[in-house]
Amino acid sequence: MKRALALLAIGALAPMIQGAMGTFIPLHYCPDLGLLLVVGLGLCWRSTAGGLVLSAMLGFVADLLSGSLLGQHMLLRIFAFGAARACSRQLNLRGVIPRAIFVSALSAVSALGTGALTAFFGAGPGVDAQMLRELVPHALINGAFAPLGVWFVERIANWLSEAEAGQQLLALRPRSRLS
Amino acid sequence: MAEFRNRKSVTALVVALVAFSVVAMVVDRRSAPGGPDRELSGWTDAILDIAAPVQQMIAFPFDLTREAWRHYASLLAASDTNTALRARLVALEEENLQLREALIASGRLARIAEIRADFEVPMLPSALVGVDPSPWFRSVLVDRGREHGVRSGMPVISEHGLVGLVTATSARAAKAMLVLDRQSAVDGIIQRSRSRGIVRGRGTSEMDFEFVARGSDVRVGDVVISSGLGGVYPKGIRIGEVASVSDPGSALMQSATLVPAVDFGRLEQVFVMLRRGPTMEMLYASEGEGLLAETASERSGP
Repeated sequence: MKRALALLAIGALAPMIQGAMGTFIPLHYCPDLGLLLVVGLGLCWRSTAGGLVLSAMLGFVADLLSGSLLGQHMLLRIFAFGAARACSRQLNLRGVIPRAIFVSALSAVSALGTGALTAFFGAGPGVDAQMLRELVPHALINGAFAPLGVWFVERIANWLSEAEAGQQLLALRPRSRLS
Repeated sequence: MAEFRNRKSVTALVVALVAFSVVAMVVDRRSAPGGPDRELSGWTDAILDIAAPVQQMIAFPFDLTREAWRHYASLLAASDTNTALRARLVALEEENLQLREALIASGRLARIAEIRADFEVPMLPSALVGVDPSPWFRSVLVDRGREHGVRSGMPVISEHGLVGLVTATSARAAKAMLVLDRQSAVDGIIQRSRSRGIVRGRGTSEMDFEFVARGSDVRVGDVVISSGLGGVYPKGIRIGEVASVSDPGSALMQSATLVPAVDFGRLEQVFVMLRRGPTMEMLYASEGEGLLAETASERSGP
Protein backbone atom coordinates (compact mmCIF):
# COMPACT_ATOMS: atom_id res chain seq x y z
CA MET A 1 0.00 0.00 0.00
CA LYS A 2 2.84 2.35 0.93
CA ARG A 3 4.58 1.61 -2.35
CA ALA A 4 1.41 2.31 -4.29
CA LEU A 5 0.82 5.59 -2.50
CA ALA A 6 4.43 6.70 -2.92
CA LEU A 7 4.36 5.92 -6.63
CA LEU A 8 0.99 7.61 -7.01
CA ALA A 9 2.40 10.76 -5.40
CA ILE A 10 5.47 10.64 -7.65
CA GLY A 11 3.29 9.89 -10.65
CA ALA A 12 1.03 12.84 -9.87
CA LEU A 13 4.09 15.05 -9.63
CA ALA A 14 5.43 13.80 -12.98
CA PRO A 15 3.02 15.75 -15.25
CA MET A 16 3.47 18.81 -13.03
CA ILE A 17 7.26 18.63 -13.39
CA GLN A 18 6.83 18.05 -17.10
CA GLY A 19 4.49 21.03 -17.35
CA ALA A 20 7.06 23.23 -15.61
CA MET A 21 9.84 21.87 -17.87
CA GLY A 22 7.71 22.65 -20.89
CA THR A 23 8.05 26.36 -20.23
CA PHE A 24 11.80 26.08 -21.05
CA ILE A 25 12.20 23.11 -23.40
CA PRO A 26 9.88 22.15 -26.30
CA LEU A 27 7.83 19.25 -25.00
CA HIS A 28 8.82 16.99 -27.88
CA TYR A 29 12.33 17.02 -26.47
CA CYS A 30 11.17 16.29 -22.91
CA PRO A 31 10.80 12.67 -21.78
CA ASP A 32 7.22 11.64 -21.02
CA LEU A 33 7.73 10.99 -17.30
CA GLY A 34 4.22 9.58 -16.84
CA LEU A 35 4.70 7.02 -19.60
CA LEU A 36 8.12 6.00 -18.23
CA LEU A 37 6.62 5.43 -14.79
CA VAL A 38 3.82 3.31 -16.24
CA VAL A 39 6.31 1.23 -18.25
CA GLY A 40 8.34 0.80 -15.06
CA LEU A 41 5.19 -0.40 -13.30
CA GLY A 42 4.46 -2.82 -16.13
CA LEU A 43 7.96 -4.28 -16.02
CA CYS A 44 8.60 -4.58 -12.31
CA TRP A 45 5.41 -4.14 -10.29
CA ARG A 46 4.40 -7.36 -8.55
CA SER A 47 0.60 -7.06 -8.60
CA THR A 48 -1.02 -6.73 -12.04
CA ALA A 49 -4.27 -5.38 -10.61
CA GLY A 50 -2.48 -2.82 -8.43
CA GLY A 51 -0.30 -1.72 -11.34
CA LEU A 52 -3.34 -1.34 -13.57
CA VAL A 53 -5.18 0.84 -11.07
CA LEU A 54 -2.06 2.95 -10.47
CA SER A 55 -1.49 3.41 -14.21
CA ALA A 56 -5.12 4.42 -14.72
CA MET A 57 -4.90 6.93 -11.88
CA LEU A 58 -1.67 8.42 -13.24
CA GLY A 59 -3.37 8.78 -16.63
CA PHE A 60 -6.35 10.51 -15.08
CA VAL A 61 -4.12 13.03 -13.30
CA ALA A 62 -2.38 13.74 -16.62
CA ASP A 63 -5.83 14.25 -18.21
CA LEU A 64 -6.71 16.85 -15.60
CA LEU A 65 -3.57 18.86 -16.29
CA SER A 66 -3.62 18.44 -20.05
CA GLY A 67 -5.84 19.79 -22.79
CA SER A 68 -6.86 16.26 -23.77
CA LEU A 69 -10.27 14.73 -23.28
CA LEU A 70 -10.83 13.45 -19.76
CA GLY A 71 -10.01 9.73 -19.90
CA GLN A 72 -7.77 9.89 -22.98
CA HIS A 73 -4.43 9.55 -21.17
CA MET A 74 -6.06 7.12 -18.76
CA LEU A 75 -6.96 4.71 -21.57
CA LEU A 76 -3.52 5.02 -23.15
CA ARG A 77 -1.75 4.44 -19.84
CA ILE A 78 -3.82 1.27 -19.25
CA PHE A 79 -2.76 0.13 -22.71
CA ALA A 80 0.90 1.01 -22.01
CA PHE A 81 0.85 -0.92 -18.74
CA GLY A 82 -0.76 -3.92 -20.44
CA ALA A 83 1.76 -3.84 -23.29
CA ALA A 84 4.72 -3.56 -20.91
CA ARG A 85 3.41 -6.39 -18.72
CA ALA A 86 2.65 -8.67 -21.68
CA CYS A 87 5.93 -7.97 -23.48
CA SER A 88 8.00 -8.48 -20.34
CA ARG A 89 6.67 -12.04 -20.23
CA GLN A 90 7.31 -12.80 -23.90
CA LEU A 91 10.50 -10.82 -24.58
CA ASN A 92 13.75 -10.23 -22.78
CA LEU A 93 13.40 -6.60 -21.66
CA ARG A 94 16.12 -6.67 -19.03
CA GLY A 95 18.86 -4.88 -20.95
CA VAL A 96 19.20 -1.16 -21.53
CA ILE A 97 18.87 -1.36 -25.32
CA PRO A 98 15.80 -3.67 -25.44
CA ARG A 99 14.06 -1.39 -22.92
CA ALA A 100 14.95 1.73 -24.92
CA ILE A 101 13.68 0.18 -28.17
CA PHE A 102 10.51 -1.05 -26.49
CA VAL A 103 9.72 2.34 -24.92
CA SER A 104 10.43 4.18 -28.18
CA ALA A 105 7.98 1.93 -30.00
CA LEU A 106 5.40 2.19 -27.21
CA SER A 107 5.79 5.97 -27.14
CA ALA A 108 5.14 6.16 -30.89
CA VAL A 109 2.09 3.89 -30.62
CA SER A 110 0.82 5.94 -27.67
CA ALA A 111 1.17 9.18 -29.66
CA LEU A 112 -0.65 7.66 -32.63
CA GLY A 113 -3.32 6.48 -30.19
CA THR A 114 -3.69 10.03 -28.88
CA GLY A 115 -4.15 11.32 -32.42
CA ALA A 116 -6.59 8.55 -33.31
CA LEU A 117 -8.70 9.08 -30.18
CA THR A 118 -8.75 12.85 -30.73
CA ALA A 119 -9.96 12.34 -34.30
CA PHE A 120 -12.45 9.65 -33.28
CA PHE A 121 -14.09 11.92 -30.74
CA GLY A 122 -14.04 14.82 -33.20
CA ALA A 123 -11.90 16.97 -30.93
CA GLY A 124 -9.18 17.66 -33.51
CA PRO A 125 -7.58 16.66 -36.80
CA GLY A 126 -5.90 13.50 -35.42
CA VAL A 127 -2.68 12.14 -36.86
CA ASP A 128 -1.15 14.44 -39.46
CA ALA A 129 2.27 15.02 -41.02
CA GLN A 130 3.18 17.54 -38.34
CA MET A 131 2.44 15.06 -35.59
CA LEU A 132 4.47 12.36 -37.31
CA ARG A 133 7.43 14.74 -37.60
CA GLU A 134 7.30 15.53 -33.88
CA LEU A 135 6.65 11.94 -32.89
CA VAL A 136 10.11 10.72 -33.97
CA PRO A 137 12.27 12.87 -31.66
CA HIS A 138 9.78 12.39 -28.84
CA ALA A 139 9.91 8.59 -29.16
CA LEU A 140 13.73 8.65 -29.29
CA ILE A 141 13.97 10.84 -26.18
CA ASN A 142 11.58 8.56 -24.32
CA GLY A 143 13.65 5.56 -25.41
CA ALA A 144 16.83 7.20 -24.18
CA PHE A 145 15.34 7.89 -20.77
CA ALA A 146 13.53 4.53 -20.48
CA PRO A 147 16.26 2.58 -18.64
CA LEU A 148 16.52 5.39 -16.10
CA GLY A 149 12.74 5.51 -15.62
CA VAL A 150 12.45 1.75 -15.11
CA TRP A 151 15.45 1.74 -12.78
CA PHE A 152 13.79 4.50 -10.74
CA VAL A 153 10.52 2.56 -10.34
CA GLU A 154 12.49 -0.58 -9.47
CA ARG A 155 14.47 1.27 -6.80
CA ILE A 156 11.35 2.80 -5.26
CA ALA A 157 9.58 -0.57 -5.23
CA ASN A 158 12.59 -2.38 -3.73
CA TRP A 159 13.31 0.33 -1.19
CA LEU A 160 9.76 0.39 0.09
CA SER A 161 9.37 -3.38 0.08
CA GLU A 162 12.60 -3.65 2.12
CA ALA A 163 11.19 -1.17 4.60
CA GLU A 164 7.94 -3.14 4.79
CA ALA A 165 9.88 -6.40 5.24
CA GLY A 166 11.81 -4.81 8.13
CA GLN A 167 8.58 -3.81 9.82
CA GLN A 168 7.16 -7.33 9.45
CA LEU A 169 10.28 -8.76 11.07
CA LEU A 170 9.88 -6.46 14.04
CA ALA A 171 6.23 -7.39 14.34
CA LEU A 172 7.11 -11.09 14.62
CA ARG A 173 9.31 -10.69 17.69
CA PRO A 174 6.61 -10.45 20.39
CA ARG A 175 4.86 -13.51 18.91
CA SER A 176 8.00 -15.63 19.23
CA ARG A 177 8.42 -14.53 22.83
CA LEU A 178 4.87 -15.58 23.66
CA SER A 179 5.32 -19.00 22.16
CA MET B 1 -7.81 -22.45 -9.59
CA ALA B 2 -6.53 -19.42 -7.69
CA GLU B 3 -4.58 -18.31 -10.76
CA PHE B 4 -7.72 -18.66 -12.92
CA ARG B 5 -9.71 -16.57 -10.43
CA ASN B 6 -6.94 -13.98 -10.34
CA ARG B 7 -6.89 -13.81 -14.15
CA LYS B 8 -10.64 -13.35 -14.22
CA SER B 9 -10.50 -10.51 -11.71
CA VAL B 10 -7.72 -8.76 -13.66
CA THR B 11 -9.77 -9.06 -16.86
CA ALA B 12 -12.79 -7.62 -15.06
CA LEU B 13 -10.64 -4.76 -13.76
CA VAL B 14 -9.28 -3.99 -17.25
CA VAL B 15 -12.80 -3.95 -18.67
CA ALA B 16 -14.02 -1.67 -15.87
CA LEU B 17 -11.12 0.77 -16.24
CA VAL B 18 -11.37 0.89 -20.03
CA ALA B 19 -15.13 1.40 -19.80
CA PHE B 20 -14.63 4.19 -17.26
CA SER B 21 -12.12 6.01 -19.47
CA VAL B 22 -14.31 5.67 -22.59
CA VAL B 23 -17.35 6.96 -20.70
CA ALA B 24 -15.26 9.85 -19.33
CA MET B 25 -14.20 10.78 -22.88
CA VAL B 26 -17.74 10.61 -24.22
CA VAL B 27 -19.09 12.73 -21.34
CA ASP B 28 -16.24 15.22 -21.71
CA ARG B 29 -16.82 15.52 -25.46
CA ARG B 30 -20.56 15.89 -25.06
CA SER B 31 -20.09 18.77 -22.65
CA ALA B 32 -18.62 20.81 -25.55
CA PRO B 33 -15.27 22.57 -25.42
CA GLY B 34 -15.45 24.65 -22.31
CA GLY B 35 -18.94 23.43 -21.48
CA PRO B 36 -20.48 23.68 -18.02
CA ASP B 37 -19.24 20.27 -16.98
CA ARG B 38 -15.65 21.49 -17.23
CA GLU B 39 -15.95 23.35 -13.93
CA LEU B 40 -14.04 20.84 -11.83
CA SER B 41 -15.11 19.91 -8.34
CA GLY B 42 -14.03 17.72 -5.44
CA TRP B 43 -10.68 15.99 -5.66
CA THR B 44 -10.22 16.78 -9.37
CA ASP B 45 -10.45 20.43 -8.38
CA ALA B 46 -7.84 19.85 -5.68
CA ILE B 47 -5.35 18.33 -8.15
CA LEU B 48 -5.48 21.43 -10.36
CA ASP B 49 -5.19 23.66 -7.28
CA ILE B 50 -2.13 21.76 -6.08
CA ALA B 51 -0.57 21.69 -9.55
CA ALA B 52 -0.43 25.47 -9.89
CA PRO B 53 1.80 26.25 -6.88
CA VAL B 54 3.87 23.08 -7.39
CA GLN B 55 4.62 24.03 -11.00
CA GLN B 56 5.41 27.57 -9.90
CA MET B 57 7.86 26.20 -7.32
CA ILE B 58 9.57 23.88 -9.82
CA ALA B 59 9.84 26.63 -12.41
CA PHE B 60 11.17 29.22 -9.95
CA PRO B 61 14.94 28.56 -10.29
CA PHE B 62 14.63 28.30 -14.09
CA ASP B 63 12.60 31.49 -14.20
CA LEU B 64 15.19 33.27 -12.11
CA THR B 65 18.05 32.25 -14.41
CA ARG B 66 16.11 33.12 -17.53
CA GLU B 67 15.05 36.48 -16.12
CA ALA B 68 18.60 37.36 -15.11
CA TRP B 69 19.88 36.53 -18.58
CA ARG B 70 17.08 38.44 -20.26
CA HIS B 71 17.71 41.44 -18.01
CA TYR B 72 21.40 41.40 -18.90
CA ALA B 73 20.69 41.04 -22.62
CA SER B 74 18.10 43.81 -22.54
CA LEU B 75 20.56 46.12 -20.76
CA LEU B 76 22.98 45.72 -23.64
CA ALA B 77 20.38 46.88 -26.14
CA ALA B 78 18.69 49.44 -23.84
CA SER B 79 20.19 52.56 -25.38
CA ASP B 80 19.25 51.66 -28.98
CA THR B 81 15.77 50.55 -27.92
CA ASN B 82 15.26 53.76 -25.97
CA THR B 83 16.04 55.92 -29.00
CA ALA B 84 13.78 53.84 -31.24
CA LEU B 85 10.93 53.93 -28.72
CA ARG B 86 11.16 57.71 -28.29
CA ALA B 87 10.85 58.14 -32.04
CA ARG B 88 7.91 55.73 -32.10
CA LEU B 89 6.22 57.58 -29.21
CA VAL B 90 6.42 60.88 -31.06
CA ALA B 91 4.98 59.30 -34.20
CA LEU B 92 2.14 57.66 -32.25
CA GLU B 93 1.29 60.87 -30.39
CA GLU B 94 1.04 62.62 -33.72
CA GLU B 95 -1.14 59.86 -35.14
CA ASN B 96 -3.34 59.85 -32.02
CA LEU B 97 -3.88 63.59 -32.36
CA GLN B 98 -4.89 63.26 -35.98
CA LEU B 99 -7.31 60.44 -35.20
CA ARG B 100 -8.94 62.45 -32.41
CA GLU B 101 -9.38 65.36 -34.76
CA ALA B 102 -10.93 63.09 -37.35
CA LEU B 103 -13.33 61.60 -34.76
CA ILE B 104 -14.41 65.00 -33.47
CA ALA B 105 -14.94 66.15 -37.02
CA SER B 106 -17.18 63.19 -37.75
CA GLY B 107 -19.14 63.74 -34.51
CA ARG B 108 -18.52 60.19 -33.37
CA LEU B 109 -16.43 60.89 -30.29
CA ALA B 110 -19.40 61.66 -28.06
CA ARG B 111 -21.18 58.50 -29.20
CA ILE B 112 -18.05 56.42 -28.64
CA ALA B 113 -17.73 57.85 -25.14
CA GLU B 114 -21.33 56.79 -24.44
CA ILE B 115 -20.95 53.22 -25.58
CA ARG B 116 -17.44 52.82 -24.17
CA ALA B 117 -18.72 51.28 -20.97
CA ASP B 118 -20.28 48.46 -22.97
CA PHE B 119 -16.97 47.58 -24.55
CA GLU B 120 -14.87 47.82 -21.44
CA VAL B 121 -14.35 44.30 -20.27
CA PRO B 122 -12.86 43.73 -16.82
CA MET B 123 -9.48 42.04 -17.13
CA LEU B 124 -7.85 39.81 -14.55
CA PRO B 125 -4.05 39.66 -14.60
CA SER B 126 -2.87 36.13 -14.14
CA ALA B 127 0.51 34.38 -14.12
CA LEU B 128 1.25 31.41 -16.31
CA VAL B 129 2.47 28.61 -14.06
CA GLY B 130 2.79 25.62 -16.35
CA VAL B 131 2.20 24.23 -19.79
CA ASP B 132 0.46 21.11 -21.01
CA PRO B 133 2.44 18.00 -20.00
CA SER B 134 1.53 16.34 -23.30
CA PRO B 135 3.34 17.46 -26.47
CA TRP B 136 0.20 16.78 -28.53
CA PHE B 137 -1.92 19.48 -26.89
CA ARG B 138 -1.29 23.16 -26.36
CA SER B 139 -2.76 24.46 -23.15
CA VAL B 140 -1.48 26.36 -20.14
CA LEU B 141 -2.24 26.50 -16.45
CA VAL B 142 -2.81 29.93 -14.89
CA ASP B 143 -2.89 30.85 -11.21
CA ARG B 144 -6.38 32.32 -11.10
CA GLY B 145 -9.58 30.31 -10.77
CA ARG B 146 -13.24 30.42 -9.80
CA GLU B 147 -12.47 32.32 -6.59
CA HIS B 148 -11.19 35.17 -8.74
CA GLY B 149 -14.15 35.11 -11.11
CA VAL B 150 -12.62 32.99 -13.87
CA ARG B 151 -15.05 30.69 -15.69
CA SER B 152 -14.73 28.29 -18.62
CA GLY B 153 -15.28 29.99 -21.96
CA MET B 154 -13.60 33.27 -21.06
CA PRO B 155 -11.02 34.59 -23.53
CA VAL B 156 -7.40 34.95 -22.47
CA ILE B 157 -5.19 37.64 -23.97
CA SER B 158 -1.81 39.23 -23.43
CA GLU B 159 -0.59 42.73 -24.21
CA HIS B 160 0.48 41.43 -27.63
CA GLY B 161 -2.70 39.68 -28.67
CA LEU B 162 -4.93 36.63 -28.38
CA VAL B 163 -3.69 33.76 -26.20
CA GLY B 164 -6.63 31.36 -25.99
CA LEU B 165 -9.71 30.29 -24.10
CA VAL B 166 -10.33 29.03 -20.56
CA THR B 167 -11.43 25.39 -20.80
CA ALA B 168 -11.52 24.21 -17.18
CA THR B 169 -11.37 25.87 -13.81
CA SER B 170 -10.74 24.92 -10.22
CA ALA B 171 -11.03 27.18 -7.17
CA ARG B 172 -7.58 28.77 -7.55
CA ALA B 173 -6.34 27.72 -11.01
CA ALA B 174 -7.58 27.47 -14.57
CA LYS B 175 -6.62 25.62 -17.71
CA ALA B 176 -6.62 27.55 -20.98
CA MET B 177 -6.41 26.14 -24.50
CA LEU B 178 -3.98 28.16 -26.64
CA VAL B 179 -4.82 29.36 -30.15
CA LEU B 180 -1.91 27.12 -31.26
CA ASP B 181 -3.79 23.95 -30.22
CA ARG B 182 -5.06 21.72 -33.02
CA GLN B 183 -8.56 21.99 -31.55
CA SER B 184 -8.56 25.79 -31.69
CA ALA B 185 -10.29 27.73 -34.46
CA VAL B 186 -10.84 31.49 -34.43
CA ASP B 187 -12.81 33.55 -36.95
CA GLY B 188 -10.38 36.19 -38.17
CA ILE B 189 -10.06 39.02 -40.65
CA ILE B 190 -7.14 40.73 -42.28
CA GLN B 191 -6.98 44.21 -40.78
CA ARG B 192 -5.94 45.90 -44.04
CA SER B 193 -8.18 44.24 -46.63
CA ARG B 194 -10.96 42.89 -44.32
CA SER B 195 -10.71 39.45 -45.96
CA ARG B 196 -12.19 36.76 -43.73
CA GLY B 197 -10.93 33.32 -42.81
CA ILE B 198 -10.47 30.83 -40.00
CA VAL B 199 -7.32 30.80 -37.92
CA ARG B 200 -6.62 27.22 -36.96
CA GLY B 201 -3.91 25.96 -34.62
CA ARG B 202 -1.38 23.49 -35.95
CA GLY B 203 0.02 22.33 -32.65
CA THR B 204 3.31 24.07 -33.51
CA SER B 205 4.48 27.67 -33.17
CA GLU B 206 2.58 28.67 -36.34
CA MET B 207 -1.08 28.75 -37.32
CA ASP B 208 -3.06 28.29 -40.53
CA PHE B 209 -5.34 30.97 -41.95
CA GLU B 210 -7.83 28.85 -43.88
CA PHE B 211 -10.99 29.21 -45.93
CA VAL B 212 -10.00 32.57 -47.35
CA ALA B 213 -11.95 33.19 -50.55
CA ARG B 214 -9.85 32.80 -53.69
CA GLY B 215 -8.78 36.18 -54.98
CA SER B 216 -8.93 37.83 -51.55
CA ASP B 217 -6.22 40.35 -50.90
CA VAL B 218 -3.79 38.56 -48.59
CA ARG B 219 -0.16 39.66 -48.43
CA VAL B 220 2.85 38.67 -46.38
CA GLY B 221 3.05 40.94 -43.32
CA ASP B 222 -0.72 41.52 -43.10
CA VAL B 223 -2.07 41.61 -39.55
CA VAL B 224 -4.92 39.22 -38.74
CA ILE B 225 -7.35 40.20 -35.97
CA SER B 226 -10.34 38.42 -34.46
CA SER B 227 -13.57 39.19 -36.29
CA GLY B 228 -15.88 38.61 -33.31
CA LEU B 229 -18.17 36.55 -35.54
CA GLY B 230 -17.63 33.25 -33.78
CA GLY B 231 -19.15 34.73 -30.64
CA VAL B 232 -16.25 33.39 -28.58
CA TYR B 233 -13.61 36.11 -28.81
CA PRO B 234 -14.30 39.85 -28.98
CA LYS B 235 -13.61 41.69 -32.19
CA GLY B 236 -10.30 43.38 -32.91
CA ILE B 237 -7.81 41.33 -30.92
CA ARG B 238 -4.54 40.80 -32.74
CA ILE B 239 -4.00 37.14 -33.62
CA GLY B 240 -0.92 37.15 -35.82
CA GLU B 241 0.86 38.19 -38.95
CA VAL B 242 0.81 36.50 -42.37
CA ALA B 243 4.17 34.78 -42.90
CA SER B 244 3.45 33.11 -46.23
CA VAL B 245 0.58 32.77 -48.67
CA SER B 246 0.05 29.49 -50.49
CA ASP B 247 -0.83 29.31 -54.14
CA PRO B 248 -4.47 28.18 -54.31
CA GLY B 249 -3.99 26.49 -57.71
CA SER B 250 -7.40 25.40 -58.91
CA ALA B 251 -8.92 25.37 -55.39
CA LEU B 252 -11.79 27.66 -54.43
CA MET B 253 -10.13 28.74 -51.20
CA GLN B 254 -6.66 29.94 -50.43
CA SER B 255 -4.74 29.66 -47.20
CA ALA B 256 -1.84 31.34 -45.46
CA THR B 257 0.55 30.65 -42.62
CA LEU B 258 0.42 32.94 -39.60
CA VAL B 259 3.03 33.76 -37.02
CA PRO B 260 1.21 34.43 -33.74
CA ALA B 261 1.29 37.94 -32.31
CA VAL B 262 2.07 36.47 -28.91
CA ASP B 263 5.47 34.90 -28.31
CA PHE B 264 4.23 31.80 -26.53
CA GLY B 265 7.76 30.74 -25.62
CA ARG B 266 8.16 33.86 -23.48
CA LEU B 267 4.64 34.17 -22.20
CA GLU B 268 4.58 34.80 -18.46
CA GLN B 269 1.57 36.94 -17.72
CA VAL B 270 -1.85 36.88 -19.31
CA PHE B 271 -5.17 38.64 -18.80
CA VAL B 272 -8.42 36.75 -18.46
CA MET B 273 -11.32 38.73 -19.93
CA LEU B 274 -14.00 38.34 -17.31
CA ARG B 275 -16.84 38.38 -19.83
CA ARG B 276 -17.73 35.57 -22.20
CA GLY B 277 -18.69 36.00 -25.82
CA PRO B 278 -22.38 35.49 -26.75
CA THR B 279 -21.84 31.92 -27.98
CA MET B 280 -20.08 30.90 -24.79
CA GLU B 281 -22.70 32.72 -22.74
CA MET B 282 -25.38 30.67 -24.48
CA LEU B 283 -23.50 27.44 -23.70
CA TYR B 284 -23.27 28.45 -20.08
CA ALA B 285 -26.86 29.66 -19.76
CA SER B 286 -27.49 27.05 -17.08
CA GLU B 287 -24.92 28.66 -14.83
CA GLY B 288 -26.97 31.84 -14.54
CA GLU B 289 -26.31 35.43 -15.43
CA GLY B 290 -26.07 36.65 -11.86
CA LEU B 291 -22.64 35.30 -11.13
CA LEU B 292 -21.04 36.78 -14.22
CA ALA B 293 -22.67 40.14 -13.76
CA GLU B 294 -21.62 40.14 -10.12
CA THR B 295 -18.00 39.32 -10.99
CA ALA B 296 -17.90 41.95 -13.72
CA SER B 297 -19.22 44.66 -11.43
CA GLU B 298 -16.75 43.62 -8.69
CA ARG B 299 -13.84 43.92 -11.10
CA SER B 300 -14.87 47.18 -12.68
CA GLY B 301 -15.23 48.77 -9.24
CA PRO B 302 -17.83 51.28 -8.00
